[in-house]
Amino acid sequence: MSFLGGVDRESGAVVDPASDIRGESVAGRVLAFPHGKGSTVGSYVVYGLAKRGRGPAAIVNGRTEAIVATGAILGGIPLVDRIDVSILASGDRLVVDGDAGTVVLPEVTERPVVTAFLRNKGRVLIVLRGERVGTFRGQWSGISGYIEGEEPALRRARQEVREETGIGEARLVARGPVIRTRLESTVFAIHPFLFDVATRRVRLDWENVEARWVRPQDLEGIATVPRLRDVLASVLPDARPAGRGPGRPPARGGGAGARRGRRGSRRTGGSRRASRPGPAGPGRASGP
Amino acid sequence: MRLTPRQRELRDHGTKAERTSMRLLSALGEIYEADRLIRIASAHVAGASYKMVGDPGLEFIEDFARDARIVVPATVNPLGMDLDRWREQGVPEVFAANQRRIATAYRRMGVRESFSCTPYLIGNRPKFGEHIAWAESSAACFANSVLGARTNREGGPSALASAVTGVTPNYGLHLDGERHATAVVDVRARVRGAGFSLLGLHVGRELGEGIAYFRGIRGTESDLKWLSASIASTGDISMFHIERSTPEWRSARTKGLPRITVTARDLRDVRQEFTTGADADIIGLGSPQLSSEELHQVADLMEKNRPRIPVWVFTSRGARDVAAASVARIEAQGGRVLVDTCLEVTLIENVSKTVATPSGKAAVYLPTLCGQKIVMDDIESLFRRYAS
Repeated sequence: MSFLGGVDRESGAVVDPASDIRGESVAGRVLAFPHGKGSTVGSYVVYGLAKRGRGPAAIVNGRTEAIVATGAILGGIPLVDRIDVSILASGDRLVVDGDAGTVVLPEVTERPVVTAFLRNKGRVLIVLRGERVGTFRGQWSGISGYIEGEEPALRRARQEVREETGIGEARLVARGPVIRTRLESTVFAIHPFLFDVATRRVRLDWENVEARWVRPQDLEGIATVPRLRDVLASVLPDARPAGRGPGRPPARGGGAGARRGRRGSRRTGGSRRASRPGPAGPGRASGP
Repeated sequence: MRLTPRQRELRDHGTKAERTSMRLLSALGEIYEADRLIRIASAHVAGASYKMVGDPGLEFIEDFARDARIVVPATVNPLGMDLDRWREQGVPEVFAANQRRIATAYRRMGVRESFSCTPYLIGNRPKFGEHIAWAESSAACFANSVLGARTNREGGPSALASAVTGVTPNYGLHLDGERHATAVVDVRARVRGAGFSLLGLHVGRELGEGIAYFRGIRGTESDLKWLSASIASTGDISMFHIERSTPEWRSARTKGLPRITVTARDLRDVRQEFTTGADADIIGLGSPQLSSEELHQVADLMEKNRPRIPVWVFTSRGARDVAAASVARIEAQGGRVLVDTCLEVTLIENVSKTVATPSGKAAVYLPTLCGQKIVMDDIESLFRRYAS
């Protein structure tokens, strides 16, 4: 998002031809974008928008940099950063608290799920979801299932592995940070796991119709459930395809959990600084 | 980040400008993981050329100036025109009116009556070890590298906020541990004059960011001004060390660092690469503004070779007044000595399509900011080439 040249300073309309919200107005709305770019004059543009009453009601960022932060302060616009904006959709109703640094989506429900990869001699297991499952039919996935109540994610992962593959012996190798993905009014908070197993013999249950052992890089050309490659990369860093920079902020911070503020996130709280270097600070209210 | 009671007081109960400034510095401090705000000896503010900041900047600066008063010595970057000779520069009336409003707003805040990118040459000269908040990449790099003062490369608003509050977030180049070298640059070429601009362009691009540790060069303060300006133009670089020369070279810690070697051929290649035009309409000297000594040199060269194309010389009011005799000699040879502004932040596009210049910084910015083609060479060669 570049404000200089990207947003009309009088009307608040997005005019950047490269923007996927071109033609929309930022005035009075929560403006969410991964991070800012472009000229430092953009700070003054944000200020001018706010002064005319055409500025955003709040700004939500994956990673805030100085240009946007400066504009938000000058314009008195609340800003919260370190939110995974990829799970937000235009039209969502958001509750943004700049003082607390929280973003809540009251109309979106968060469902915690596990996704487990089994590994055997360098290949990982993926399964094709059948027609009888509730979501993502006909797409390839890891072994997955809903976390029920307060049960530990690891226990659920082991149970799903047993049920969906018939493999009883699995050695935990890694677990990754929560990765979120959006489907309509549901956000799936995926807990990634990687297990080593001694066999490739798989006995599918009713949920999946086909199993394949693939090399991690083979996922590239396969129709998978959303973010499957990110989930695998979180437990198997070498699996990240070349050319994917670190640009996408790791999902974390409870951005879209229903009624779960960023700081209230049990699963991810406290890990923010540890797992992502670089500039990013808790959002600060900048209102008068 | 911790604020002192006095800083909290300013943030919550200061004037509007103080509250905005303190909130801005606190937020930037959080982003860059500073532990506190530290006192500064001076500020240097960027964002004064109407060409650069446009109506959005004009509006903010005027609003901010309503109740902003600077509390530390502060200077401001060049404007988009010479406040007296803008008509000769081909600057339109409307632009001039808006530019004057920006200058007036800065004056109201109490900054020095000098619009310069070389504050260290006109009395805003930090001492070794002093913390300062300077925007203007060339000046920040010079202050860190040559003077041993400490500043990050500030933005216009953050430097202004520091001028109004007297503090800056304590991170980056303010910290001992962030001033060590990150790469060793072995220079296997004899570098003189415009060679320092070429060296800066090359190394800034090769390193991209970090702190360079040069071996094999020695330069005057003027040479290091050109090196600072060009290395900060092609790289996100705000400091360098020169072995046995700059004040902090002994603490640069070069063991185990990556090395690059620069040869005479590299410098020739850079000059050729940045030379995008064939025939210049004008010789532009500045970016950064010339010192009084450099004005003497230009006067000598122009008397030897009276140029057949216009020569615009950008300097500060301070340097111009010190070198009044040289200024008169330059003008007698057909040159124009302009103050308050500089080569790439003024409307040079209104009079030229191709600029001949020895400045590496100008060679980087004139094509994008002013749509110019460049003829890059050292100043002696340029005056010989364009002699009448």
